[in-house]
Amino acid sequence: MTLSFDYRKIMLTAAATLGMGAALTLTSGGAARAEEPSWCGPKKATLALLDGFGGNSWRLVTTASGKEEASLCPSITQYVYADGQGNTQKAISDIKSMAARGIDALVVFGDAGPAVLPALTAVYKAGKVVVPYRVDVGGKAGQNYTMFIGSSFKDDGVSWGKWIKSILPQGGNLLFLSGPAGNSQGLDELAGLKSVLDDKYKFVNPAPFDVTNWDPSLTQQVLTAEIAKHDKIDVIVSDFGPSLVGALPAFKKFNRSIPALATSDGNSLGCFWVENHKDNPDFKLFTVATGNDNVRLAVDWAVAEATGGKLPSAQIFKAPVFEDSVSGQPHPVQCRSDLPGSIYLSAKLSGDDQAKAVNK
Amino acid sequence: MAARADQPLQETRQRRRHGAPLARGFLTVLAATLALLVLCRILAPSSLTAGALAGSLPFAAVLAIVGLAQMLVVQQGGFDLSLAGGVSLAVVIATHVPAGDSAELPRAVLLALACSVAAGVLNGVLVSVLRLNAIVATIGVNALIYGGVFAVSGGVPRTTTPLLAAIAGGETLGVGNALWFALAILILVALILKKTVIGRRFEAIGANPLAARAIGLAVRRHQITAYVAAQGLYVVAGLLIAGITKEPTAFQGDPLLLPSVAVVVLGGTSLLGGRGFPVSTVIAAFFLTQLSQFALAIGVPYSAQTIIQAFALGLGIAVYSLRLPKGIKKLIKPLNTEERR
Repeated sequence: MTLSFDYRKIMLTAAATLGMGAALTLTSGGAARAEEPSWCGPKKATLALLDGFGGNSWRLVTTASGKEEASLCPSITQYVYADGQGNTQKAISDIKSMAARGIDALVVFGDAGPAVLPALTAVYKAGKVVVPYRVDVGGKAGQNYTMFIGSSFKDDGVSWGKWIKSILPQGGNLLFLSGPAGNSQGLDELAGLKSVLDDKYKFVNPAPFDVTNWDPSLTQQVLTAEIAKHDKIDVIVSDFGPSLVGALPAFKKFNRSIPALATSDGNSLGCFWVENHKDNPDFKLFTVATGNDNVRLAVDWAVAEATGGKLPSAQIFKAPVFEDSVSGQPHPVQCRSDLPGSIYLSAKLSGDDQAKAVNK
Repeated sequence: MAARADQPLQETRQRRRHGAPLARGFLTVLAATLALLVLCRILAPSSLTAGALAGSLPFAAVLAIVGLAQMLVVQQGGFDLSLAGGVSLAVVIATHVPAGDSAELPRAVLLALACSVAAGVLNGVLVSVLRLNAIVATIGVNALIYGGVFAVSGGVPRTTTPLLAAIAGGETLGVGNALWFALAILILVALILKKTVIGRRFEAIGANPLAARAIGLAVRRHQITAYVAAQGLYVVAGLLIAGITKEPTAFQGDPLLLPSVAVVVLGGTSLLGGRGFPVSTVIAAFFLTQLSQFALAIGVPYSAQTIIQAFALGLGIAVYSLRLPKGIKKLIKPLNTEERR
């Protein structure tokens, strides 16, 4: 899989050289608001959002969310976006060229991890506000960048664990699916799950989790093998719910009900539950927000630093619990069948605006 | 001298006695598959249950189809690395153009086929007319096709139309439709290759393009045909993937590239070109898919799964270089000129 992934990177690079998608410049809405948020100070500033890889719906929604958040502050005179297209070198040159263009504040999704740290450090030392978020790039706040706004995947695991305990107080068999082998998100989530669940809850997958690469076709094959192997799976835990939509019907081939599912949200998953829960008596659904709003906290920090606003109190984005088909709290399962399946109703950005971002 | 002159006669007699001669690649891959099935039965019986097979066979069918496509190109001494782009483009066209509206599906399929012909002709011209190295040329075309993938989809997945999901994901006579597609394509490819004039010429050209040109065969045209036919099969594979996985990504072709070459090699087709082994290629596709199901079902960590797969693949290919005992050798077709070359 590593091979094929690298291969894709090569292809993306080639596509980039062929002139696919240059950095996109957008000016902020700039409409004066009656009430400015506290993080928006009086000093004029410019802001850039830099993606390491922008080519999926989650990123498109996140980018649109970041733009909307920045537009809340009229002191931001220009908002610029650049997509690294999965190419580390392009991501690094994007960071440097934004600084060279005189942008004051940079919000960076550092997909390449520590590889982008030297560029971030150089730009920070040159006096820019630098806020990496979500992916750990190494380094230290105040030394290599202004502030890192992480996301607590462990908390997601804790939320899932508590829910599993509530629906299965006697314990049971769990199946945990995550992305590429050894990814830190999956390991953090597992740590969260294990902090809540004791030995009564047995993970039937090979430790630490079943590898799916977050690829729907691999997910389908992995899930089929696991269903065949284990007669009793009480809960499936997955950190990318929408990739299960194609895989869950596999239970029907075994004449079994889809079990309870603890995962992250997605419109296609919500609609799948609505369509299928009546035929599958054990199909309960619990989701945490997929975390598009992580970018908002990072933008708040960057804008506050650059414009002299009040710094937000939170330094880590905690994905809130979103849907629970059992209690209906904080929301029952959401489905907007009139909108694309690949949007995230948990995001603050309205469903219609997300559809626009995804369909452009 | 006399003994040598008699040899062909003896071979003909032998062939008659043993029925149709069996290619070495076919026997090897069949033996490997049977051994794997026995291993599955003992160590991982869950991977052979009806439900597990119903889940994994459609993916084997997709791999079989791209394997046959790659085989056609390999037969002409080429390589088609634009497989990844070709499959992905078909996937995004089939999901984005109709945007959930089943009535729009035929238009999307036609569009995908049109794109595939263009990509195939481009590959063919670059390789056989402009004489570029096949690997370099198809990497370039792949990048172009991915440009198309991004233009259509923006890299964003979209849900499959209900019609396509029903066609590709449905069942007929208790067997997944994807398998019927693979079977139909196998029969078509095998019949054309082995029973028609075009097919015989195609193999002859692959075995020795210079000799073929000398006797007046249209070498370039056949080579271009290989690339176009391959792209056409990628479209079928892409449509099937789009239907089988409800919400395919825009990069669904990438994980198929290496396995497509692996099944061609396992099936016994020489990378130097020449004779093709469609049936063996399809069996090899089943072998590879079942192998990963086996690795998943015995429940070892991911690292061990990868090692098991690599080991079995290496073993499968190594078998070709082993010398077989005489008794078995007689069963096998005594000459396969392309293989020896």
